[in-house]
Amino acid sequence: MGSRPSLLLRDEELAEIQKETGFSANQIERLYSRFTALDKTGSGALSREDFLRIPELAINPLGERIVMAFFRHSEEDRVNFRQFVRVLAHFRPVKKNKDNKLNSREGKLKFAFKLYDLDDDDRITKEELLAVLQMMVGENISEDQLMSIAERTILESDMDGDGMIGFEEFCKALERSEVEQKMSIRFLN
Amino acid sequence: MLPIGFVGTSKLMHKMEAWEILVLLLVTGPVSVFVITVYVLSALGKSLGFRRKYVQMLLYIFEYGRIRIEKAHREKYGSDEEDNCEDVSSKVISLGPKSNGNAVKLEDSPEEKELRNRRQSSLKLSDDDDQSDLNIPVDCKSDFELSDIFHFVKNGIEAIVEDQVTQRFVAEELKSWNLLTRTNRHYEFISWRLSLIWLVGFFIRYFVMLPFRVTICFLGVVFLTMATALVGSIPKRYGVLRRRLYNIVSLQAFEVFSWSISAVITHHDYENQPGGAIVDESGSIVKGFEGGGGICVANHTSPIDVVVLAVDNCYDMIGQRHGGFLGILQRALARASSHIWFERSEMKDREAVARRLKEHVEDKTKLPILIFPEGTCINNSAVMQFKKGSFEVGGVIYPVAIKYDARFGDPFWDSSKYSMLQYLYMMMTSWAIVCDVWYLPPMTRKSGESAVDFANRVKSLIARKGGLVDLDWDGQLKRTPAKKEWKEQQQLEYSKKFVNSSPRHIVSAVEDPSSTGDVDNLNPST
Repeated sequence: MGSRPSLLLRDEELAEIQKETGFSANQIERLYSRFTALDKTGSGALSREDFLRIPELAINPLGERIVMAFFRHSEEDRVNFRQFVRVLAHFRPVKKNKDNKLNSREGKLKFAFKLYDLDDDDRITKEELLAVLQMMVGENISEDQLMSIAERTILESDMDGDGMIGFEEFCKALERSEVEQKMSIRFLN
Repeated sequence: MLPIGFVGTSKLMHKMEAWEILVLLLVTGPVSVFVITVYVLSALGKSLGFRRKYVQMLLYIFEYGRIRIEKAHREKYGSDEEDNCEDVSSKVISLGPKSNGNAVKLEDSPEEKELRNRRQSSLKLSDDDDQSDLNIPVDCKSDFELSDIFHFVKNGIEAIVEDQVTQRFVAEELKSWNLLTRTNRHYEFISWRLSLIWLVGFFIRYFVMLPFRVTICFLGVVFLTMATALVGSIPKRYGVLRRRLYNIVSLQAFEVFSWSISAVITHHDYENQPGGAIVDESGSIVKGFEGGGGICVANHTSPIDVVVLAVDNCYDMIGQRHGGFLGILQRALARASSHIWFERSEMKDREAVARRLKEHVEDKTKLPILIFPEGTCINNSAVMQFKKGSFEVGGVIYPVAIKYDARFGDPFWDSSKYSMLQYLYMMMTSWAIVCDVWYLPPMTRKSGESAVDFANRVKSLIARKGGLVDLDWDGQLKRTPAKKEWKEQQQLEYSKKFVNSSPRHIVSAVEDPSSTGDVDNLNPST
């Protein structure tokens, strides 16, 4: 019942976001209202805590990594609406004859790749892989076993023999995966 | 100079007297007629039937507004909303109650419904369509794949876009503007005609209805405090008389309160109404049926829930002692019947609360006790976890489902934002409080059923009847962060993928998150 504005975006800004992300005006309005709802302090930007206040995200084993993805391109430790929508745009379903580099197969793969690549050097090392594995299994599997899983995964995907997975190798390894479906969600109008 | 002036004023005073009497008559006449009407009508259990007509009229106005807004919207954005844009007009506002459970509710388009259901189920890893991500073909079992993160990422992003929990603690989203300024739709300029309607509505709500409603509410409080004091002064040995009088007083007082918020309440399935027996000194039943009052459990949206239920039946209440306006009512009620009010410190003592509750339920002469097992107010779009406490006591449980029609005024009480009086002020300046109440058949715990399972069984029945989403999440998440056990549960679920290669590493004993009942299990906000 708060005095939440329905939409405070200027028309030109709306048009820019539409062009950049491919979302419709209605979808952007919806996302904006969600954004303001998450912004508990009313500062116009989201902090890490604002994200992790969503219980379903807080209990997601990769929740913190997903939140980090929003902060990758921001100088400060806050995310404004433009950045917020841009990240979400990766998850728009792929449509024929409507190319947008964010939600293309490659865009989606890049997003996933960056979740592993913690130090942002465009390679996934054994340690980075191990860290993600650990987040997903928690205390349930021994570190030795995880290590051998990580080693094996790198061995399988590594083609140039540098002991790491580069983006091209990553794409090759996921060649047969239905990335378009698994990395898409539906946005309501 | 002085005598002249003196004479002048005295003459004036003389004149004033006749004039004053006239004013006095003019003012007190209608007021006393009004007061008497209120009390007589409430005593007779009658109402003038204005409210239902008024609500019908509002529905037509809203419908008019909806069509206007949609037209304006189409003009603004044009019809170029291509990608999976649904036809706006597919969201139908139903006029008047329908025959099924979701009586007065805005309809979701099928697409949204499906999406909601899917999102809800995606929480559980073991659900069908998600399973495909995890159920790896046998030949590469126990192998990690780089794409395994997709499942978690997708769920995470979905939760960011829309989650099941946080939206329950803010006002429910309306499909169309209901001409109130404080809904999530806010004030919108659509057309002059609509703005005029809004303005007239504003005037009526604030300058006509509000004074009437405040007066009626005040009369209700006066009546309740005086009448309960009278009933309370009757010695305990005249139990039957006391109880009968209290029933009359309670019904009448709550009826008056319901007028002060223009409540239009439709109760369904009277045969399931909770009821205690009136027992005379010799122990034989005078009125009602055997088995004692039992416990009446309902979903919780606001303190108004109590009014909504108590206009139709008498209850004893349990809850935390409040100060202020609620405190006045609590003390008044406690004078005449055996309500259980706890101090905040006592509420923490779960055993003491459970003992008091058990004593009350076992005493067959007492009224059914009203409990809101969610323990906190939810915005009436979902039912959240029921605390197991009231289901451990034993005896009969009378489930009740309450569904409000948020178009006429959102009844959800966001206690972190508004005080009780602020909240009442908002309710009294809303259009009306319209709701449906369903009495569900009494239930008892099956042998071998745990209190948690029983609570869940009752909860899902209430959810289904009221057309609400049935959630396993704890309403305490409003104030506290999610428990890490839930995350561990998901990690465990994922680790099962590697189970064949090393079963000894799997920790089997991750606590069931739904049974972490360390919070108060009784409603602290009644």
